[in-house]
Amino acid sequence: MSVLVVIAVAGLVAAAVLVVAWPFVSPDRGEGEPALTSHQIERIELLERRDALYASLRDLEQEARIGKVDAAEYEDERRRLRSEVAQTLGRLDALDSKHGSEQDETALPREG
Amino acid sequence: MAALGSVALILVFALAAYATVAAVLAARRRDRRLMRSASNAVLAAFAGCLLACFCLLVLLARHDFSIAVVAEHTSRQLPLRYRLAALWASQPGSLLLWLTVLCGAAALVVLQNRHRNRELMPWVVAVLGCLMTAFSGMSAFISPPFAKVVGAVPANGFGLDPALQNPYMTAHPPTLYMGYVTLAVPFAFAMAALVTGRTDARWLLAVRRWTLFSWMCLGLGMLLGAHWAYVEIGWGGYWGWDPVENAALMPWLAATAFLHSVMVQEKKGMLKVWNMVLVSGAFALSLFGTFLTRSGVVSSIHSFVQSDVGGYLLAMIAVVLVVSTALIIWRLPLLRSEHRLESVVSREATFLFNNLLLLALAFAVLWGVVFPILSEAVRGVRSTVSTPYYDFFLVVFGLPLLFLIGVGPMIAWRRASLGSLVRVFRWPALSALAAGALLALLGLGSSWAGLTAFSLCVFVAITIGLEFARGASARRALEGGSWPRALVGLIGRNRRRYGGYIVHLSIVLLVLGVTASSAYSSVAETTLRPGQSLHLAGYTLTYRHLAHSSNTNSTTTMAVLDARRGDSTLGQLTPGRRVYPVEQRVTNEVDIRSGLRGDLYTILEGVDPSGGGVTLKVLVNPMVSLIWLAGAVFLVGGLIAIWPDPREARQLARRYAAVLAREA
Repeated sequence: MSVLVVIAVAGLVAAAVLVVAWPFVSPDRGEGEPALTSHQIERIELLERRDALYASLRDLEQEARIGKVDAAEYEDERRRLRSEVAQTLGRLDALDSKHGSEQDETALPREG
Repeated sequence: MAALGSVALILVFALAAYATVAAVLAARRRDRRLMRSASNAVLAAFAGCLLACFCLLVLLARHDFSIAVVAEHTSRQLPLRYRLAALWASQPGSLLLWLTVLCGAAALVVLQNRHRNRELMPWVVAVLGCLMTAFSGMSAFISPPFAKVVGAVPANGFGLDPALQNPYMTAHPPTLYMGYVTLAVPFAFAMAALVTGRTDARWLLAVRRWTLFSWMCLGLGMLLGAHWAYVEIGWGGYWGWDPVENAALMPWLAATAFLHSVMVQEKKGMLKVWNMVLVSGAFALSLFGTFLTRSGVVSSIHSFVQSDVGGYLLAMIAVVLVVSTALIIWRLPLLRSEHRLESVVSREATFLFNNLLLLALAFAVLWGVVFPILSEAVRGVRSTVSTPYYDFFLVVFGLPLLFLIGVGPMIAWRRASLGSLVRVFRWPALSALAAGALLALLGLGSSWAGLTAFSLCVFVAITIGLEFARGASARRALEGGSWPRALVGLIGRNRRRYGGYIVHLSIVLLVLGVTASSAYSSVAETTLRPGQSLHLAGYTLTYRHLAHSSNTNSTTTMAVLDARRGDSTLGQLTPGRRVYPVEQRVTNEVDIRSGLRGDLYTILEGVDPSGGGVTLKVLVNPMVSLIWLAGAVFLVGGLIAIWPDPREARQLARRYAAVLAREA
């Protein structure tokens, strides 16, 4: 093994150690999202469900517009989806009151 | 260089092991600095892999025959591009490439998620770190790419397998590897979701694009391999149900199933367990594919020599299956479906049937691959599973799958009425029946499977066309503008859906090409003397004379043939036999005249130097070009579907912000 290779290998090992140790010697910037509590996770899951239902309603509108579902199917499915949205929003409200929350978070997403 | 590469590999092993341990500790202690350190270790490991690859490439380029990989897979006569491609022609080199792609994917995941998925990431890094440790351990200690030759250093190497000296071989293996290896990312996220209990949509959003990427790479890799086989191997076909071809097909089928069933989970909250099983299964199958190529248990043009890594890979597959099964069982209460299947005539049911057929086909292929191995292990006799077995299951499961490609996008979610089914499917169904009748009248009824496949292709193509036409029409009604603008707007607003439809269109092209070329091909084999002709399927080939050419690496003897179709002259074809003196091998160099209607495929099977005659095998393969065209359409559709949608990320961020704001 030549001297050059020894130097290269030593440099390689030193660089690896430096990269791995850097977070312990550098200041913690504290970036990123914080960890969630079980209550927050449950709330996120309900919000996901709500958004999925809104997306289903939008798809249903589109499918009715292009004639993929007839009027009766459209009405039936729309009623069912809206009832599910109401149930999900109700569960969100119940979750909030259980945790003593006062704010309201039921706004429709604006994207379509 | 060899010493530096070896040290780099050992360093990768140490960094990967550290990343695994640090990530687990970071998850348990919720230690952010430790997590950043683990992430940095992943990035450093990737840099180490790149350095090791660079060292091996330099050794290959410099003809350093003191290194076994260089001596066994290159020669002084080999052109530079194939010397460099020898990196993945050797087992140690291919293992190094596997490791590099894995570390690259892990590094990209770390960079993508620096400020996201804080709860999942420690476990994602831990799982990827485990895999990196296993593969770097194999590469550094069991199958080292920088091992020296035993005994005296040869003056020249043994050369590269001539079949691998083809431009497609510079692209086919790396593309496939990317497909195999990146399936580790969805697997890692799935395991992280199970460990943390975060089985909501976040992990799905994180892995959907990675799965799509793996799936595209596997699909394109298989097509590149098929084209290589077609132009290089010289038997007239493009897919031989070789165990190693099958090894790539199986995870592709499982990933296809996942990409469809994930929509049901997103839309209906159903199939959560199934999706976990599919992600784990797809990754286990990708490891199985690696095992097949590297263990030497199957005889294939792709496989390497018998080696020790096979046992380690089998152990890894067992660990993946046991751990994922245990975690899924542990988290079953969290994976309950939010809805039940209400009708078998619904889009979710169609997706479920599609999944079952895809998995059934994958298992049929798996059995075909495994049976000879089991038969040899149990009875001591090696059986072979040949093409008719696979063709049978391809027809039995493939035709219903093709039908479902047409049905799925058109049928309503939850339940479809008879009236809507008639309204939606009358034109596609009538067109398919009319096409079938017309083709039968034209004399294509000799293969019922071929005729059915053609009819179903018409059915699917019409449904896709109607989807685009209706969508664009609705968009024009809402926003006005021209048809092309409405179409572009439609695809832009629903990239995933319409990208998917374009991929479906590529499957139609693929099926057309495969069906026509396999069910309706013509073949002739004869010996011709100068001036004599052969007639086949409207083509005439006249043998003129022999010709010779040579370069530093090989010498070729060619038969010069004049080709005509009817009264039109198609020019000359020169199929040949190439001798590679270093490798001591002779290969067929086929010559193909391609057209949209069909390929005229010529093989020189023998030369009679005394009589001046040549033995030729000639095939007319209809519509093969559609298979390669399907690859291009597949790529376009896949890229549209995979293109990031900022609305999704914004919606996710808004949900999190809303939840955190409430608690502030």
